[in-house]
Amino acid sequence: MSWSSNDNNSPWGKKPRENKKSSSNGSGDSYGDDYLKSFQDKLKNMFPKNNPTSLGLVVVILLFIWTLSGFYRVGTDEQGVVTRFGEYVRTTEPGLHYHLPFPIESVFKPKVTKVNRIEVGFRTSQSQFSQTPQTRQTPEEALMLTGDENIVDLNFTIFWIINDAKDFLFNVRNPEITIKSIGESVMREKIGQTPIDPILSEGKSIVEEDVKNSVQAVLDYYQSGVLITQVQLQKADPPELVIESFRDVQRAKTDEQRLRNEAEAYRNDIIPKARGEAERTIQEAEAYKKEVVAKAEGEAQRFLSVYNSYKTSKDVTRERIYLETLEKTLGRIDKVIVDNNAGSGVVPYLPLPELKKKINNNSNSNNEQN
Amino acid sequence: MSKTSFLYIILIALAFVGLNALFTMNEKEQGLVLQFGEPKRVVQSSGLHFKLPLIQNVIKYDRRILEYDLPVEEVIAVDKKRMLIDSFTRFKITDPLEFYKTVGNESSVRNRLNSNVISSLRRVVGRVTLDELLSKERGNIMENIKVEVNNEASRFGIEIVDVRIRRADLPEANSQAIYERMISERVREAKEFRAKGSEVAQKIRAEADKEKTVILAEATRKSEILRGEGESKAIDIYADAFEQDSDFYSFYRSMQAYGNVLGEDGTTMILSPDSEFLEFFNSSKGKAR
Repeated sequence: MSWSSNDNNSPWGKKPRENKKSSSNGSGDSYGDDYLKSFQDKLKNMFPKNNPTSLGLVVVILLFIWTLSGFYRVGTDEQGVVTRFGEYVRTTEPGLHYHLPFPIESVFKPKVTKVNRIEVGFRTSQSQFSQTPQTRQTPEEALMLTGDENIVDLNFTIFWIINDAKDFLFNVRNPEITIKSIGESVMREKIGQTPIDPILSEGKSIVEEDVKNSVQAVLDYYQSGVLITQVQLQKADPPELVIESFRDVQRAKTDEQRLRNEAEAYRNDIIPKARGEAERTIQEAEAYKKEVVAKAEGEAQRFLSVYNSYKTSKDVTRERIYLETLEKTLGRIDKVIVDNNAGSGVVPYLPLPELKKKINNNSNSNNEQN
Repeated sequence: MSKTSFLYIILIALAFVGLNALFTMNEKEQGLVLQFGEPKRVVQSSGLHFKLPLIQNVIKYDRRILEYDLPVEEVIAVDKKRMLIDSFTRFKITDPLEFYKTVGNESSVRNRLNSNVISSLRRVVGRVTLDELLSKERGNIMENIKVEVNNEASRFGIEIVDVRIRRADLPEANSQAIYERMISERVREAKEFRAKGSEVAQKIRAEADKEKTVILAEATRKSEILRGEGESKAIDIYADAFEQDSDFYSFYRSMQAYGNVLGEDGTTMILSPDSEFLEFFNSSKGKAR
């Protein structure tokens, strides 16, 4: 566009030394002879006409320096993209290279291994007051409508590298803004097709993968020379306003589990106890059965033994048993013997309570002695 | 002297004119060669180019994909739901000549695009429902808008590379309704979980109680059967033994019972001298029987 700048820098058909000189004050050239004269004098002083060899030497040295200016170094994290008069000619790998000097060829050196990140829904900034980076939410980016018409609060980061330096430099203006816009658009599209529950839980990795692939497809279509290495969901939460109710659902889930566990604990407590009790009841019954049978057998045997002896002398034995029994029995108890005849005429007074008292006293004193 | 200075002037002028005949176009650029303002030639390849010096000049445009973010627009879907649509477009100047003739520069093409894309957005979104906009249809919707806008855009020498909806949101009032619905849904869910929990718990407890009762009842049944068996066996044994002489059994057993029952402390017995035991109490001969 600007001719004067071309003029200043172009070496064609000109001796470089003259260009160099004229560039400093070339615009004033045509305006006055005296100025021109003094300029010529200066030139003459510098390169005396009577010594053409020294003039040639200067030209050669300048040409040599100009030629050397074509060396350039591509860093290990870079690629070199060389253009000739603005037209792409080649891409070079890290190392020392040469391109034709300045106005003919020039080189761009984008950093192709650097992983760039774009944050959506939040911004991190390093504060000068604290070590940890501060994050600031941008709700207008973070809040998204889900497929079941809920709203979700989402933060994600897109990581990208330059895949093709030439495409990256020449095909898309403002690639960073473009990646962010596409990322946002694709994420919202994807979220708009997914119900809220998977987004909040196990579906995150699917969303990340799908969004990564879709963003890459659009960027490939733009021939942007960008490779998306990762899309990462930093945060996928219900919005601030409703998060409490979501937490309550989680609590309700644990409550459900707790109630179930408590009930199972109750069951595990009472069933074995009942089994134990049942076993005890059965064993007791078994014991009772054995006991009564044994007792019956014993008693029966005793009776039979007694009976067998009794059979031989019935009356005597009977009498003896009777008397022995009464003897034993009556010997232990208090006895009052009342003659039937004693009662005739007057009603005999029998002070039962006093008798009782006496007995009690006796037994008490007996106890005390013991 | 004046001859050399004249020579210098000639040389400088020639250099100036010669350089003016050259121009470069880099990979990001394209342009037009104008002669006194009239377009003569389109240059879309990069590198070194020639033009007539002094009378022709070059204007350059961007050859890359250019961005344009549209303002947020409220659109009504076919189901009467209002939506705020935030979209952006990416375009390319494909025909610098048309571009120069119709719009001339980027800022005026933005204005044109703005009205075109928004009217197309209204038309296309006006035919779909919110659900469709949120569904897989979104890709097609964006494609339709792109095609519509492209028909118009070709007149300005540009090509729409992409039209994308960034956000399709409900207005603030609707968001509030959504929040309320979300809360009520969660409340319902939470209640359901708790109720389910208590249902399951009660069921487990009731089953446990039932099982306990059954176990105990079964045990009681078995124990009663066992006791009965024992008792019946005992009865048989007693009967077998005692039936040999029931009279003696009554006597013998009564004697045993007397021995067991009487004789506890505090028993007082009032006897008549007439009782059999005291038969010899009154007389050594005993009573006449």
